[in-house]
Amino acid sequence: MLKSWKLKEIVLMSLFSVVFGIVYLLFLHAGNIWAGFIGPIAYEWIFGIWFIVSIICMYIIRKPGAAVISETIAATIEVLLGNAIGPRLILTGLIQGLGAEAVFAATRYKRFDLWVLMLAGVGSAVFSFVYGYFLGGFAVYSTGYVALMLGLRILSGALIAGVGGKALSDGLLATGSLRGYAISRSKKGESHA
Amino acid sequence: MKHALHKMNPSLKFLLLTVCMITMAFFFDPWTPLLFCIGILVLQILFSRINWKKWLLFMIPFFVTAFGYFWSTIVFAEDQSGPVIWSFWVLNVTETQLHYALSLSFRILAFSSLSLLFAFTTNPNTFIMSLMQQLKLSPKIAYGVMVGYQFLPVLKDEFIHIQQAHRLRGATPEKNALQRLLGVRRILIPMLAGAVRKAESAAFAMEARGFTGERRTSYFQVITVSKIDGVCAALFLIVLLLSCTNRLWIS
Amino acid sequence: MPNVICFNNVTFSYPDEEQPILKNLSLSIRRGERVVITGPSGCGKTTLLYLCNRLFPDNCDGILTGSLELFGKDSFSYIPGEINHRIATVFQDPDAQFCMQTVEEELAFTLENLHLPREEMEIRIFEVLHLTGLSEFRHAIIQKLSGGQKQRIATACALIMEPEVLLLDEPIAHLDPYTAKKYVEWLDQLQIKRKITIIAIEHRLDLWGDFFERNIQLNKTEDTTPLQKRNTSIQENASFLANSISAKPFLQEVSFTLNRGEITVLAGPNGSGKSTLLKALCQLIPLNGTVQPERLGYVPQSPDFLFLTKSVHEEVAFGGGNDVDKMLTRLKLITIADDHPFAVSHGQKRRVAIAAMLSDGRDVIVMDEPTSGQDAAALSELFQLIDERSRAGTTFLIVTHDMEFAYCIADSILLLNNGRLTGKFPAADVWRNENLQLDHHLLPPKGLMSREACFT
Ligand SMILES: Nc1ncnc2c1ncn2[C@@H]1O[C@H](COP(=O)(O)OP(=O)(O)OP(=O)(O)O)[C@@H](O)[C@H]1O
Ligand SMILES: Nc1ncnc2c1ncn2[C@@H]1O[C@H](COP(=O)(O)OP(=O)(O)OP(=O)(O)O)[C@@H](O)[C@H]1O
Ligand SMILES: [Mg+2]
Ligand SMILES: [Mg+2]
Repeated sequence: MLKSWKLKEIVLMSLFSVVFGIVYLLFLHAGNIWAGFIGPIAYEWIFGIWFIVSIICMYIIRKPGAAVISETIAATIEVLLGNAIGPRLILTGLIQGLGAEAVFAATRYKRFDLWVLMLAGVGSAVFSFVYGYFLGGFAVYSTGYVALMLGLRILSGALIAGVGGKALSDGLLATGSLRGYAISRSKKGESHA
Repeated sequence: MKHALHKMNPSLKFLLLTVCMITMAFFFDPWTPLLFCIGILVLQILFSRINWKKWLLFMIPFFVTAFGYFWSTIVFAEDQSGPVIWSFWVLNVTETQLHYALSLSFRILAFSSLSLLFAFTTNPNTFIMSLMQQLKLSPKIAYGVMVGYQFLPVLKDEFIHIQQAHRLRGATPEKNALQRLLGVRRILIPMLAGAVRKAESAAFAMEARGFTGERRTSYFQVITVSKIDGVCAALFLIVLLLSCTNRLWIS
Repeated sequence: MPNVICFNNVTFSYPDEEQPILKNLSLSIRRGERVVITGPSGCGKTTLLYLCNRLFPDNCDGILTGSLELFGKDSFSYIPGEINHRIATVFQDPDAQFCMQTVEEELAFTLENLHLPREEMEIRIFEVLHLTGLSEFRHAIIQKLSGGQKQRIATACALIMEPEVLLLDEPIAHLDPYTAKKYVEWLDQLQIKRKITIIAIEHRLDLWGDFFERNIQLNKTEDTTPLQKRNTSIQENASFLANSISAKPFLQEVSFTLNRGEITVLAGPNGSGKSTLLKALCQLIPLNGTVQPERLGYVPQSPDFLFLTKSVHEEVAFGGGNDVDKMLTRLKLITIADDHPFAVSHGQKRRVAIAAMLSDGRDVIVMDEPTSGQDAAALSELFQLIDERSRAGTTFLIVTHDMEFAYCIADSILLLNNGRLTGKFPAADVWRNENLQLDHHLLPPKGLMSREACFT
């Protein structure tokens, strides 16, 4: 999978994964404490935060695997630094990454506009929700409550991960430091077209 | 022996901890995780040199989480059967509720103490080296993550640097809180941009040192699996076994 | 002798630029040659070097036409990193050429890439550190070394591969004069012994003596008159007070005052704490003691972190100065005014930082090695600018390893050694006192010597 990657893309992806791994962990702690007070639904509206690195990396690098690998590394970093869920989190990360990856794969890694990025956030949300439904035991809650959770998570995935991830990457692009990555190549293509 | 946990092979340690946590996940009673947690603490006291003050500091969020889960389970749990053992204002706490709440919060404590054991006794570089040597992780990813990890303190410096650059260049600091919050963006993006440039120069340096991403034939820092690992593994498994079989020897 | 590197009608352009940076370039370098590449700052020397070690065009999406052969094979036939065993590089920016934490790890990483057995790694690391006189830094953390020390470590990392070709991008720009001289002598011996091909980029050839056999000039450099010693513009009243400044763990207590319009050069060996002192004066690092005034202009040794905007023009205009265009023209930045400050050459970045600080209208400006990596024209312009400003009352404190520049510009000299201030001297006293120079790794400037020759 990594054969076609340039070294600088791999290093960039790893660096982002490490940085966001730490951000994720902070939010996990905050979310846990918060959830301690108002129950599991507390997570849902910020859930998109945990999908953001896969979308940023894919949007910048645009190569198969960018979403899954980055999300998995970020989850591994969370595990290494210590969390209350344990190594199961790596699996969670992998599945969230796969959700985003699936959307990008469906466009054959050709389209990276806002809608696709939002859809990728939704993909992560759905995958992680299905996984959570079976493993996290959401089955005990009433259907209405579950639907509300899913709705919130999808919204959060689309807005925080999709829109937020794009805004952050575009901000980075404007600083000129993303020269030589797929994102700036395509920007030129678009403006010529 | 005071260093045993630090000297243990990191990949093996990681696998062992994973096994422990997965096993824990199958037990839903208060005693197993509690005993396990105590066992882990004893191991840590005997076989590691960690800064306990720091440990406590890192434990605080987990304690809070555990406590949060404890009381929210008591309040929200659906299954309210069993005799009432404690009554407080309008709340009646039943035995089942208490059982659930304690199980959940002790599990969180068990997981956290294990996670922290790993984090406090493992050097990240050695861990990545070991992942590459023992578990055949791709060198490209391994070195990528290693470089990423090394940049963390640099990124922290960068954050300070950029603030200072703003000050030096005479950008006026924001007065009210909202503006300051928006101002964080002005620092966040340059910081990430700096990270991108650092990643690029590190990648150039790696390539210039002849790194092609192929597997290496020999390592300078060789990470081995030794007798100490066997002993430690046995200790972990004993703790795991003892806590899982608590029904047999407690009572 | 066979060619190791051969450019045949090569044209190279960066993706966003309309003009190619290298145009119809043909050159060939034979095995064992010592070649220097010269040309004005920003003419594409570093770009050329990146083409030789195959980092470009892959990593920047640049467009290359023509043929480029390395060791007789087309450069595209090598996978990334493959050729770098044989063509080793020392990059221009001391802060951007390492990937590991400590010196030993960096060296070991290099050797692992060569697939050497472990025992041999140990031997080679010992040998190369011994050879380069860097044994004491074996376990040092690279981030914490000074600019010059990093540059020497980079050379060691390049040499440990025992390469056939050594590419050096201004390798001595950050070295103190004495170390630079030693470096050249030592490189000379090494080349004779190992017959490596050496390709270096350099603006100032005087320190190299007759090291190079051939000079490849990329663009014509402007003719400039050599620097002339300036007349002092020092005024009576003090404008800058540093009162028992110290910074842990390295910098010992330092006190000095500077007068209005005074130009002071801060000199000392690599790693003596010059950059640390300047950072302390600007309060970028925690310090004890007081500084008066607190707002200084600062040009750092690696200027990247100063940049806040998206174009060179905005960057220089940031402080609200007028005559931005004039400043850009004088410092030869007008052609890149719309470029992003991070995507310009190393020497240009430094001039952007200088221009920004000069336009900011601060009374006291400290500069960390503004002269390194500048061509003669830029240097002369910089000299003029500083001279004019000092006459208008600005006070300057300048770190430089360039003795000619120091000789011509300095009213007084602060000497620093091992984190301690030796003292503040009138410039003439330093140039007269050879022991003082030797102790601080300085060399007598040529200007002085020719003048003395006239008198005797
Ligand atoms: N990554 C980049 N993207 C676009 N343009 C670039 C990039 N790097 C450099 N340039 C442009 O190419 C030109 C040449 O840069 P280069 O670094 O090769 O110069 P140089 O001759 O080494 O200069 P110096 O002596 O100052 O180091 C510069 O004017 C710069 O504008
Ligand atoms: N961040 C740091 N932490 C600890 N020590 C440092 C740090 N930066 C530099 N040093 C040490 O302080 C000493 C002085 O470094 P400094 O960069 O000030 O030297 P310098 O005089 O500017 O040298 P050069 O001419 O090579 O730039 C060096 O020995 C270096 O090892
Ligand atoms: Mg250059
Ligand atoms: Mg310095």
